[in-house]
Amino acid sequence: MSVKIALAGNPNCGKTTLFNALTGSNQFVGNWPGVTVEKKEGKLKGHKDVVIMDLPGIYSLSPYTLEEVVARNYLIGERPDAIINIVDGTNIERNLYLSTQIMELGIPVIMAINMMDLLEKSGEKIDIAKLGKDLGCEVVEISALKGTGIKKAAEKAVALAQSKKSAEVVHSFDKKVEDAIDAVKVMLGSQVPEEQKRFFAIKLLERDDKIVEQLNTVPDVSNEIKALEDAFDDDTESIITNERYVYISSVVADSCKKNGAKKLTTSDKIDRIVTNRWLALPIFAVVMFIVYYVSVSTVGDWATTWANDGVFGDGWHLFGIKSLFIPSVPSIVEGALNAVGCADWLSGLILDGIVAGVGAVLGFVPQMLVLFIFLAFLESCGYMARVAFIMDRIFRKFGLSGKSFIPMLIGTGCGVPGVMASRTIENDRDRKMTIMTTTFIPCGAKLPIIALIAGALFNGAWWVAPSAYFVGIAAIICSGIILKKTKMFAGEPAPFVMELPAYHMPTVSNVLRSMWERAWSFIKKAGTIILLSTIILWFLMNFGWVDGNFGMLEAEQLNDSILATIGNVIAPIFAPLGWGDWKMAVAAVTGLIAKENVVGTFGILFGFAEVAEDGSEFWGQLANSLPAVAAYSFLVFNLLCAPCFAAMGAIKREMNNIKWFFFAIGYQCLLAYVVGLCIYQVGTLITAGTFGIGTVVAFVLIIGFIYLLFRPYKESNTLNVNVKSVAKAK
Amino acid sequence: MPLSMVKAGEPNVIKKVGGKSETKKFLENLGFVVGGLVTVISEINGSLIVNVKDSRVAIGKDMANKILV
Repeated sequence: MSVKIALAGNPNCGKTTLFNALTGSNQFVGNWPGVTVEKKEGKLKGHKDVVIMDLPGIYSLSPYTLEEVVARNYLIGERPDAIINIVDGTNIERNLYLSTQIMELGIPVIMAINMMDLLEKSGEKIDIAKLGKDLGCEVVEISALKGTGIKKAAEKAVALAQSKKSAEVVHSFDKKVEDAIDAVKVMLGSQVPEEQKRFFAIKLLERDDKIVEQLNTVPDVSNEIKALEDAFDDDTESIITNERYVYISSVVADSCKKNGAKKLTTSDKIDRIVTNRWLALPIFAVVMFIVYYVSVSTVGDWATTWANDGVFGDGWHLFGIKSLFIPSVPSIVEGALNAVGCADWLSGLILDGIVAGVGAVLGFVPQMLVLFIFLAFLESCGYMARVAFIMDRIFRKFGLSGKSFIPMLIGTGCGVPGVMASRTIENDRDRKMTIMTTTFIPCGAKLPIIALIAGALFNGAWWVAPSAYFVGIAAIICSGIILKKTKMFAGEPAPFVMELPAYHMPTVSNVLRSMWERAWSFIKKAGTIILLSTIILWFLMNFGWVDGNFGMLEAEQLNDSILATIGNVIAPIFAPLGWGDWKMAVAAVTGLIAKENVVGTFGILFGFAEVAEDGSEFWGQLANSLPAVAAYSFLVFNLLCAPCFAAMGAIKREMNNIKWFFFAIGYQCLLAYVVGLCIYQVGTLITAGTFGIGTVVAFVLIIGFIYLLFRPYKESNTLNVNVKSVAKAK
Repeated sequence: MPLSMVKAGEPNVIKKVGGKSETKKFLENLGFVVGGLVTVISEINGSLIVNVKDSRVAIGKDMANKILV
């Protein structure tokens, strides 16, 4: 018989560490239906029939955040056989607030007091036996980080779950409150099981409208609410919250011995410096520089070069030793294909299409692993929460949250992990906005395009590359301001309130696990959506009609390919941007697979089989084929439009909603088109004095843009979490 | 007076938690209840890091103005 045990507790109480320690590698990570809240399930080590469910970290069972609704729907609807309630011993009062609510659910509870080692160090003591008696549940001491006591806790939970006893609530509130709860319990009748009645009664008294959806007939409790509110001169929610804290204070006073003289903790001392008014930003800049420098420039660059030029390029030497040559994946595959006498077209598809396409994407994996290690470390040591606090006031001005900075910084390396990093932003509106704007920052793969345009048309002018970053940042700021005034984003700004976990050294296994979870989701993407798209594009590029016969083409015959035909159809769309040539259109399309493809496609289109990364061989031809203004508009379009397939896949995954995905991609393309058009039209007016319909359209667009940017707008203060779909999906 | 004007390092008793009911409720869940103690740890441009019930909470300036001590 299988047993289900749920882990519940506050954020940062060590829940994930405990979950990892209990389940080992036996985990399944997914999403809760309909939301991007992560769902983790695993089997207890050594017990095949015991399933452990890691619930999201929550402060209470109120309906105000997605995490709370997800956790509570699970606890009410699926009813696990037992709950392990993890309590941070260094912060016991606030943690017990959730515990009192969990105990009202009627599910057997084991309380695991975590961080006992830290507590002992500071000289504080908790009388476990007394606490357990006061709270009406069994209490065990654990240290999730060191792994002490966790086995005992799990075994007790399993035994408790198998005993099938339902928990009884021993705590009580003020007499008047208890009377009201009893009255509502009677009204609930038989539609709610006896042991859950207290929970439902309290939620009804708190005017919890989400609980109404779980009931068939909703009793009218307005008289009880009014009586309570008159008696206590406060709203019922606050009355009950206060009652809980009053009760907890009495329990804590009874069983915990606290240090009388409160000294500043080490964590506070670090915060005094790290979040200092003057030092915060410089320290932050240094940390970010180190992360960026190591993961993109040094270790990351070395790893990417190894992956791209070695594993997927010309082969490499193991440990750098000349005699230990390991051939590259393409050459191994090529050898194998030749050996079995594979047909030309098939080996072309496998080598030029699949291996080259997927390989280009997988080449970023080592770099991402390095970045993810840093991120996991910054997150689990507690610094990331401070970054959000430091950056929040700046980012709030254009509709983003302080946490948006991290995805954008990573986005300078690669947009895929950048978009995925947006997951740490809890607020739905801030997260969506961040996902939409992160890829505006030029990523590593866009640099060759910048180098090409700068070299071919601006004689390598120094300002072209910085201007690309400036365009990206301006696009983020303007988009933030414009989007936050639209209906889709209006009405959900949450005031900045956030718990800061105490600084601590994370364990190696937790950092590695978090790194691998992120990297794996990217690798999976490369194996599916990217694989498919490379096959399709390879087909479009290599097949076409020559003299009326459909067939495979030579590399020089790209002009006759299906892709060229499509290019000719779509090219006029880009004529107002100054680059209506089908070659430019095709280059932009191939950029969707991977942005560095743009330069390579130009090379093929201008008759070079292989070109340098910045395409210096055909600078002259490119310069002759279009004016500088058009080239700059081409550059800006490619920087801002929809990112590569890999990043689009990440956007879709993080948005978790097809409508939002298309809105994001559509917005990016529209913005890219409008900006490109304005640059070309205004640019030709200044440089060549050309004035036409296009110029008029450009000016109308600029005025419209300025209007959207500065139109009056009133920030709404209501927090609106749409959780109906969550409840239904269950 | 509002929490945003309190001197760092001194414990203060919370007299009132204002703001919209959702925000108020969220703060109460985090331990900001009337009668509880709150200590300001550090301050950047009006935004605060405070100690409440032994945990560190960062709050924005507009929110800090609505907590009276």
